[in-house]
Amino acid sequence: MNVLPFVIIIPLLGVFSLPLVGLVGKKAREAWALLISGATLGVTSKLLYNVWSTKETLVYTLGAKSPMGQGVGFPVRIVWEVDLLSAIMAFTIAFVAFLAVAYSIEYMRHDTGLEKYYVLILVLELGMLGIVLTGDIFNFYVFLEIMSIASYALVAFRNDTWEGIEAGIKYMFVGSLASSFILLGIALLYGQYGTLTMAYLAEKMAANFTLTAKIALAFLIGGLLFKSGAVPVHMWLADAHPAAPSSISAMLSGLVIKAGGVYVIARIAFSVFGMAVNLRTLGWVIIFFACLTLIVGNAMAVVQTDMKRLLAFSSVGQIGYILLGLGIGLAAYGTKVGEIATAGAIYHTVNHAIMKALLFMVAGAVLHELGTKDLNELSGLAKTMPKTTFAFIVGAAAIIGLPPLNGFASKWLLYESSALFNPFLGAIAIIGTAFCTAAYIRVLYTFLGRPSERVMKAKEPGMAMLLPMFILVGAIILMGLFPWQISKGVMIPAASMLANIKGYVLAVMGGV
Amino acid sequence: MFGYWDALYFVYVFIIGLIIAYLLMKWAERASSGTRREGEGAKIFLSGEDQDRVIPDFEHFRGYFTGRHVMWGLIRGINRMFIAFRREHTGLLGDYVSYLLITIALVLGALIIWG
Repeated sequence: MNVLPFVIIIPLLGVFSLPLVGLVGKKAREAWALLISGATLGVTSKLLYNVWSTKETLVYTLGAKSPMGQGVGFPVRIVWEVDLLSAIMAFTIAFVAFLAVAYSIEYMRHDTGLEKYYVLILVLELGMLGIVLTGDIFNFYVFLEIMSIASYALVAFRNDTWEGIEAGIKYMFVGSLASSFILLGIALLYGQYGTLTMAYLAEKMAANFTLTAKIALAFLIGGLLFKSGAVPVHMWLADAHPAAPSSISAMLSGLVIKAGGVYVIARIAFSVFGMAVNLRTLGWVIIFFACLTLIVGNAMAVVQTDMKRLLAFSSVGQIGYILLGLGIGLAAYGTKVGEIATAGAIYHTVNHAIMKALLFMVAGAVLHELGTKDLNELSGLAKTMPKTTFAFIVGAAAIIGLPPLNGFASKWLLYESSALFNPFLGAIAIIGTAFCTAAYIRVLYTFLGRPSERVMKAKEPGMAMLLPMFILVGAIILMGLFPWQISKGVMIPAASMLANIKGYVLAVMGGV
Repeated sequence: MFGYWDALYFVYVFIIGLIIAYLLMKWAERASSGTRREGEGAKIFLSGEDQDRVIPDFEHFRGYFTGRHVMWGLIRGINRMFIAFRREHTGLLGDYVSYLLITIALVLGALIIWG
């Protein structure tokens, strides 16, 4: 059975049925949200296994057996096209979203308007899943907007504080402008080539790459760099992510900036424009922004005293590593260095989703118990919240890149490939890590310091919040213990499939 | 091998490191280097750090590690860079939009010339 359509159908069913189930009661609503996100995780696991075991790109046409129009030799229908990268992303999204929903049950207990909250969280998951599955560029835009609108609403969910409302409005205004540039890019491509199917677009552009297509690419890359939180268009992220409830911050920093940002940059750069554009130029453009992002993001994290804002800036810094890997993958396309850099970027995307989800959940637990996220007031937290502190230590050690945790495994690939590609880039990556280490050591010193009076009143959160955190801790340790197996078995094949542009085109176009 | 790293190597190094650290600690204790585990004047192993000193105007922070003053040396060392970064983060929507336009212009310029 083809599980691909169920990846969208199940969360869509959840979105529409949740308000009705919520009429039964609060517990039924929470159980239904958990069941829907769990079932989505189940089908994405199957999808990942299917793609990984066959190493073939899956294609699903909406409303027909073939994307080709009757009597014409080109695709006219919306297609979903899933290679190993898409399947990895879908699984990661479903995994983190499931844990975020589970965590929310206790974390959001005292909030009101939860019927909207659980609907929005499933809409957010649905949007991200759609983005990573689709093979149609306008369909991608639709899912991007679904994801973005849910994000805006969730950032401002706690509308009793000015912080959430201000951040939500800023995010919405500037995010909509970035989306407009993306839409303009898509419109230019459609006007020029008359198709929205990514594979067919790639084929048409390879035959005739025009100035209009270059302008469209610039609009797309600019808008997507914004969605990724790359410097200098990262400022919205540092405002929006800390303002959201921590379960949502975990999804925004762990997933949204990747599904709606770096994943799409990779897909567009390799699969759509890969046969037409000068990949070396495009790669260096991305490397330039990656280096800025690495330094500014991690450096700004050092000077934050708000724990969630520190984590948000750290996300900006980590996006720099992912973009660096992608940029080198493009600039060194067709070489072993390029392949390893791309594999490192994909690996770090998954790792960062897990690490940052954990760290935001820890910040949420601290906020939940103490009512503050100001580091100046959290001295000695380890005394009263040892389990939460342990989870933080694992997450922080992993994000710094301390072996034998998963962060080191992916950063190693990025350091090695960047140093071989250009030693200057390797040095920048190391400087970024030095800032990252400084930022997290400050938090660790604070947590392990002498307990303050305020901290002495704290206690560990309940099992519903601790369990998702410790599942993520387990994933970090487990993925760190088998780095080569994961890299060789999953990440390098995913990078190879992404770099196989003709394979992506042929999966839809067949022999045409 | 390129792109290869095995977690077990770290585990071996970590175990060896622990053994060396334990032997050093025992040696330091026996050599009476001033390491005391408990009580007045306790010092952290090998670092030789003194007791907390009271900093004028920061008496209320005595004995606490706070987010503000830990790592102050690093922050002060490259203070100008941080000031520049912070100054750019104005929180104004107009600035956010300007940066978006600048980014797109940079990408467009690079792609038109070399793409």
